[in-house]
Amino acid sequence: MLKEKSRNNPPLIEVCSVSFSYGKNNTGRALNRVSFFVTRGERVAILGHNGSGKSTLAKIMGGIIDPSEGYCMVNGKKIQEMDFRELRGTIGMLFQDPENQIVAAMLEDDVAFAPENQGLTPDEIQLRVDMALSQTDMLKKKDSAVSALSGGEKQRAALAGVLAANVECLILDEPTAMLDPSGRRKIEKVLRLLHAEGMTIIQITHQLESESFSDIQKVIVLSKGGVKWKGTVNEFWDNAEILGFSVPDSLKIQRYCDVKGIIFPEGLANLVHRQQKEESSSTYHDKFLVDGLSFRYDEKSYALRDIHADIHAGEWLSIIGRSGSGKSTLVQHLNALYKIQEGKIYFDGLPLPQKGAEVHTLRQRTGLVFQNPEDQLFSATVKEELEFAPKNAGFKGDELDSAVIYGLECAGLSRDFLMRSPLALSGGERRLVAIASVLSAKPEVIVLDEPLAGLDASYQRKILGMLARLRDEGRTVVTVTHDLDMALHCSDRILLLRDSRVINEGKPDEIIRDIMDATKPEAWPEVLRISDEIRKVNPDFPLIYDYEEFSRCLQ
Amino acid sequence: MPAMNMNLGQYVPTGSIIHRLDPRAKLFSMLILISAVFPSKTYTGVVICFGVLMMIVSLSKISWRSVIRSAKPVLFLAVFTMIFHVAAGIFRDGDILQSVISGAFMAVRLVILMMFAVMLPLTTSPLELADGLDAIFRPLERFRFPANEVSMMIAMALRFIPLLMEETDKIMRAQLSRGARLDQGNIFQRVKAFMPVLIPLIVIIFRRADEIAVAMEARGYDGGKGRTRRKPLAWRLRDSLVVLMSVTGVGIFFALGL
Repeated sequence: MLKEKSRNNPPLIEVCSVSFSYGKNNTGRALNRVSFFVTRGERVAILGHNGSGKSTLAKIMGGIIDPSEGYCMVNGKKIQEMDFRELRGTIGMLFQDPENQIVAAMLEDDVAFAPENQGLTPDEIQLRVDMALSQTDMLKKKDSAVSALSGGEKQRAALAGVLAANVECLILDEPTAMLDPSGRRKIEKVLRLLHAEGMTIIQITHQLESESFSDIQKVIVLSKGGVKWKGTVNEFWDNAEILGFSVPDSLKIQRYCDVKGIIFPEGLANLVHRQQKEESSSTYHDKFLVDGLSFRYDEKSYALRDIHADIHAGEWLSIIGRSGSGKSTLVQHLNALYKIQEGKIYFDGLPLPQKGAEVHTLRQRTGLVFQNPEDQLFSATVKEELEFAPKNAGFKGDELDSAVIYGLECAGLSRDFLMRSPLALSGGERRLVAIASVLSAKPEVIVLDEPLAGLDASYQRKILGMLARLRDEGRTVVTVTHDLDMALHCSDRILLLRDSRVINEGKPDEIIRDIMDATKPEAWPEVLRISDEIRKVNPDFPLIYDYEEFSRCLQ
Repeated sequence: MPAMNMNLGQYVPTGSIIHRLDPRAKLFSMLILISAVFPSKTYTGVVICFGVLMMIVSLSKISWRSVIRSAKPVLFLAVFTMIFHVAAGIFRDGDILQSVISGAFMAVRLVILMMFAVMLPLTTSPLELADGLDAIFRPLERFRFPANEVSMMIAMALRFIPLLMEETDKIMRAQLSRGARLDQGNIFQRVKAFMPVLIPLIVIIFRRADEIAVAMEARGYDGGKGRTRRKPLAWRLRDSLVVLMSVTGVGIFFALGL
């Protein structure tokens, strides 16, 4: 009887002993005998670090690539034996970069792509388009050009394009990795609604978002191509640290309350006693002094407006602000990639050079690492890549060799990387090489734009460690980011930009209020959100953003 | 966001009458109009061509700035043509004024020609253009010409040009800050110095192409077979009128020897 029932109602997706190798004869094995199933209406998270084989698994479940061994079944049928249209009408896939998924210039045209491929009539297509746009809360942008949308909106547009195929199951491969906190949260909201309506969702990620855990029913941890662990979300958090994932601060505090029998978070209000922090005052000299800098791309729009700021020698400064607030434009002035239109910049007390050979010296002394710097590697070997900047700066012979070794060691890479091809490395290693290729010119100041974006926790830790060491060596570190966690925890001082202007600048504790006013709560560190919550009950409660400090206060 | 000064023929949606014309009508009329600008030898002819261009631009509700910006790559060519023409003229018969005038005439014609040409992608979305081309190429399918694939390819190329321009700009900045000297030395040194920009760009193009192909397949694209359209191409009376007007206009233009 039971057997009969399970045959009539097979799981939606069944992965049976799937293996996959990129090379011939089992070399480059990405997946090794992976098995699990997903039932209809379930929401499953597949967790894994960079290089665990999770993206390959997503492509196999979506029928994009065939497994080398084993098979994958959808609705009780092997994918390879399914009709193309039937498969594409059942399973939809959303990937990381929305730009690479949107095929048309206008939003509606793009959403219509899948139903057009299914051969529907114009009326049916329009119905599907309207439905998908309303599910993703994009109806008000209906007549927009895709190029006019923000990053988060583009990803929701891409999701609408998938939903318009009227699929039963969504496979999402790191869909929020490139988005800012508010874009991320909106996608999460849409996913929760879809799941409530009965959509099956399989989400592939390297870190569970705190907004989604209540919604996820099953967690599968993938490591080195194999299933390492399976269970419910609650079971997962009990084992998270052993499995190599960090537990969110909010969950740690919540669990502390559960153990002590305190109501979360109000019950914490009277428990916390803040300890006085040691104040270290020191003298400093200005590495950069920005005085009244303004910049505009055309007559109408200012990118920077009357910016006053100083960057102290040997400090770690974070420049924070939303996308479009002028952060990137400001730092590109520091090595004369943008020429000064109005105002002044002093470098070590001297006016910043704007042309000629002095600019090349400036670019050696101030290294700039762009966002996703791994996209800019071009050499055949890591050694050549690391030689590029110091060679341009005039390093020769032994000096050049030692510069290359310096860059390599800063990034914590071993010497056998030197002869390897940058293109053959993993994403995280490529990021390290790209940063090393700027450090090899031994810059006094190093500026990095979103250095942690898209990396898993272990590479994030490596990069943060590297930056702290560079600062301790006496180099000046500037990070540009919308990641408040990193800015508050790691940097000595913060420069806060909003709408092309400086709002405030100072130590994290000094300007925390301004930061909170200028940003949305979803961008705040979880501990800060909790302490803000508690302050609604007890206004004397301190604003704390650091979990260690929070837990110290509780004791 | 970084200034993009090279958005070559990027679609500007305004919903004007020109935008709503059938892409085939636009393509055909554009070819006819260009064929008139190209051989025109008189000032009156050029003035008339410019008048027609002005009419089209104002009907399309697209700002002159976008039109000029789209035609920018050719401005360089026009200046080059003019200098070349002037130099040749002086060398041939020594009349500076006459060669400057005829050089300028040549350059102006070239610019007008380019502006006519960019009006098509400016007023037609890449997908619509692909549909138009698809319909035009369709008869060639009998000779095994992959009409749908080719037109989809052109549409995708148009869609990604602005994005690749942005990538190029970003890579150039990154390499400049690593001390690259992109703007010094003779032509060979410059080509060599451009490698650090070119190689990453090619890698990015291939990776994007790969990811787009996967995303398109995941959305059920399997070539043109059985594909329908949300807005099927519909040839209306106004399309016939536009083509008729272009043909007669250009016919008269030629008959008058302008």
